[in-house]
Amino acid sequence: MPTLIIDNLTVTVPEGTNILEAARQLGIEIPHFCHHEALGSVGACRLCAVEILAGPVKGIQMSCMVPAKDDMVVDTCSAEVLAYRAQVIEWLMINHPHDCPVCDEGGECQLQDMTVAGGHGIRRYSGPKRTHQNQNLGPFISHEMNRCIQCYRCVRTYQDYCGGTDFGVLGARQRLYFGRFNDGPLESPFAGNLVDVCPTGVFTDKTYRFKSRLWDLQEAPSICPHCSLGCAVIPGARYRELQRRRARTNKRTNGHFICDRGRFGYGYVNHPDRPRHPLVGHRRVTWQEGLAALQNKLQELGELFGAGSIGLLSSSRATLETQFLTKRWATSLGSDQVCFEAHPVRDQGARVAASQPLDRSASLEDVRNCDLAVLIGADPLSEAPMLALALRQAARRGARIVVADPRPVVLPMACERHAVSTDKLARLLRGLSRPQQSALPASLEELGGSLSQALLSARSPVLIGGTDLLGPQGILALLEAAEACSQPEHPCRTMLLLGGPNSFGGALLSADGPGFDSLLEGMEQGRIKALLCFEADPLADFPDRKRIRAALSRLDLLAVFDCAATATVQEADLFFPTTAVEESTGTLINNEGRMQTFEQVLSAGTPIAESAGGSHPPRFFTRDIPGTDPQPAWGTLGALMGRCADLGALRREIEKADARFAGLSLLDANGEGRRIAIPRSRPVALQPAVANAVAPDQLSLLVTETLFGSELLSSLSPCLQEAIPAPFVMLHPQDAMRLKLEEGKKVTLATPLGDLTLILRIQQDMVPGVAIVPRLRGTALESLVPGSEPLPCRIEKA
Amino acid sequence: MAMLLSEKQITQLKRRVKETPHPREMILDVLHAIQDANGWISEEGVELAAIILGLSPLQVEEVATFYDKLYRRPVGRKVIHICDSICCWSRGSETLMLRLQQLLGIAPGETTADGMFTLLPTCCLGACAEAPAVRIGKTLYGNVAPEQLEAILDSERAEGQL
Ligand code: SF4
Ligand code: SF4
Ligand code: FES
Ligand code: FES
Repeated sequence: MPTLIIDNLTVTVPEGTNILEAARQLGIEIPHFCHHEALGSVGACRLCAVEILAGPVKGIQMSCMVPAKDDMVVDTCSAEVLAYRAQVIEWLMINHPHDCPVCDEGGECQLQDMTVAGGHGIRRYSGPKRTHQNQNLGPFISHEMNRCIQCYRCVRTYQDYCGGTDFGVLGARQRLYFGRFNDGPLESPFAGNLVDVCPTGVFTDKTYRFKSRLWDLQEAPSICPHCSLGCAVIPGARYRELQRRRARTNKRTNGHFICDRGRFGYGYVNHPDRPRHPLVGHRRVTWQEGLAALQNKLQELGELFGAGSIGLLSSSRATLETQFLTKRWATSLGSDQVCFEAHPVRDQGARVAASQPLDRSASLEDVRNCDLAVLIGADPLSEAPMLALALRQAARRGARIVVADPRPVVLPMACERHAVSTDKLARLLRGLSRPQQSALPASLEELGGSLSQALLSARSPVLIGGTDLLGPQGILALLEAAEACSQPEHPCRTMLLLGGPNSFGGALLSADGPGFDSLLEGMEQGRIKALLCFEADPLADFPDRKRIRAALSRLDLLAVFDCAATATVQEADLFFPTTAVEESTGTLINNEGRMQTFEQVLSAGTPIAESAGGSHPPRFFTRDIPGTDPQPAWGTLGALMGRCADLGALRREIEKADARFAGLSLLDANGEGRRIAIPRSRPVALQPAVANAVAPDQLSLLVTETLFGSELLSSLSPCLQEAIPAPFVMLHPQDAMRLKLEEGKKVTLATPLGDLTLILRIQQDMVPGVAIVPRLRGTALESLVPGSEPLPCRIEKA
Repeated sequence: MAMLLSEKQITQLKRRVKETPHPREMILDVLHAIQDANGWISEEGVELAAIILGLSPLQVEEVATFYDKLYRRPVGRKVIHICDSICCWSRGSETLMLRLQQLLGIAPGETTADGMFTLLPTCCLGACAEAPAVRIGKTLYGNVAPEQLEAILDSERAEGQL
């Protein structure tokens, strides 16, 4: 721990800390470009110069390249240093176009800041500037190469950190060019991070192009709602429109970056089809009328059939506050028919996952620091994209990454793969609980045994599983395996991928309450007459679409509270609009059990871009703001129970009612969140999965999440549409050959749910005997939901 | 695309790539093979190299565009690299450059009408001790005086026409 003096202040820092970081600990920000906390130092920009007065090296040095040493004396602003930096800035500005007024980076541009900080105000250079042709990099990123200052942050992010191979640095010297081999969309699912890391306006968010300046944006710390990882984000809004999202830093979870689903999935908030008013039937009503209609109907049903005739369903999209009040309201209505997930496998899986010992649950930070990760039935890029990036960081440090999956799991680095069919994953897990030495494992049990041995001898191993493929039994087996592979000094941690951003909260609150399948039976048998859905879409999320549709049509009352035009909303008798994540405050518990709150970014309202019909400012002035009806679901629930909307009081109540949520009221949205205090108990009885019979001449159909198009909210985002693939089916080359099918051609997939025409993709890395389709909402594949037992199917030429 | 190299060359290069622990080490060899066979490296040349090396075209292009002795545009039979870096500049390379332009009737970056010479400035030929230096084809000329240029060009042209 060296102790040194910087600008007459003494600081002690860990060994290996460089001077730039040491100064930061004193609150001294040394101007810099190429250094980045996540990317490290390269000494390329020459801006971070300081003068070292005493120490092993003396004189002007790059502070990002010199490690702090005992007894060093550093001056960050001696006359010589200031002159040096001013020259570096002047030189960096030589080729830079003076186009700040039309540059989207303006106002949040490090180059602007540093130029001002460096005192460079008047250009002396009058020669011609270097100019470049820009490239079309796809729907997400704009390219303006003339603004480049050669700091290399983009390549280091794209290639080194994110593992992309289609973007890099071309040329040399004055000709340096940061781009692709030719025009075309950037392939990495983390490409959006270029916008955040480029200190100038070379890479800007195309979906936000020419919309706002930073100082005009409403911003607040928030959480990404598009998967169960809960990455930290900062959304920005203006004119009642959510205009972008950027990454926020949370060292325990996402670190500094986010995935493109998270960055560009924001558009659901502004969707023109978003229902914004309470509806009775399809008639627009006031909140009072709507709520009165709801109360009357519930009272009537309660009197006629008893309180048990009312079912309540929330979801993994709903906040902890909403879930909690859903349960409270059920209690006050006298009904025990309440659950928090429409998908029974995901529900049970999350309940098991939420019972993992908290000191064993791995955060993304733990994954980044692991030395061995074994993924069983988990496809990071599809189910939790930032996990893929965390695994890459582990691999860069030399960790071994092993994937066992029926799907052709793609990771942004090389890894060890084992194609194992879904039904055999259980055998592998069994083997995992019994460590054994085997150099060349012959069976799955032996492979499991040898992996188990490796987990036992690793320093910081992580076992990773997905609920969709493993199901509750598999998750349980995985937790047991992790226990068996743990040493007291180096336990085997677990990371389980769940269905949604607050699956964990629902799993905690559901205790041993009913699952949605039992509510469904009640509806089918006529016991349950009313279903109240709080940000839940059972019609799309229950795996058997026919069955759920029939059950819903038997109801006397379907009331839906939601912020998106879901399938269930279309069927609702009563509808109440809720706010989107960015329009309210709340708490989500991520897949490791971390409670994180988010703050309100904007107030709900129809975007001016839409309400003014493209002409701004609006030509007519009225007192009311259009589209402001949406209310936080927890607020509406509170109103139904006659409470006032006080979030602080509600959080204190939750804390008091349930010790697991201790610390909830103290959470800071800018902080790192806080693990729940106590895990839930293991669910008592797990229903065994019933495998569907597959005839020898049939294939089994596996439905899986995919990066773009599976998750509900992001799939509604207009700016993601171009990235959503056309419906396809994947086959192993062996099966494709046997069936005489060709890559890229149309095929007909015959399933018990009907025939579908899809494009064939042949995939070497998957198991044979299986056809794999992605979940794609709003397409021909819509009715196929992941996390259910594989169906039998056939494929032939279309 | 296969026309850029013979099948035999491609197989040989692929074998060598397989034998190297880091295929990237072979990028220059593959690019030189393509340049030797075609005089320059076209877009298709980069794509072919990527296939041989098992890399993305971008990863090959990063190297191909870094070195100024790898030509990504068509060039004459002999490329004249004239150093304009510090030592050569201080010993009169500007005069050499002007004289060459006069003699060849072309500007830097252009190729003579007969397709013989392309004139390119370069940043240091590693011959600083013999500044000013010029490289024509694969021959290096040190301590070049402007008066010598005509004779040098004549002999290079004569040799190139053989
Ligand atoms: S494009 Fe941006 S990030 Fe990349 S080198 Fe240029 S200034 Fe740096
Ligand atoms: S990994 Fe998940 S939570 Fe993180 S940004 Fe992507 S979709 Fe959002
Ligand atoms: S930040 Fe140190 S040289 Fe760029
Ligand atoms: S400066 Fe001309 S050869 Fe080095």
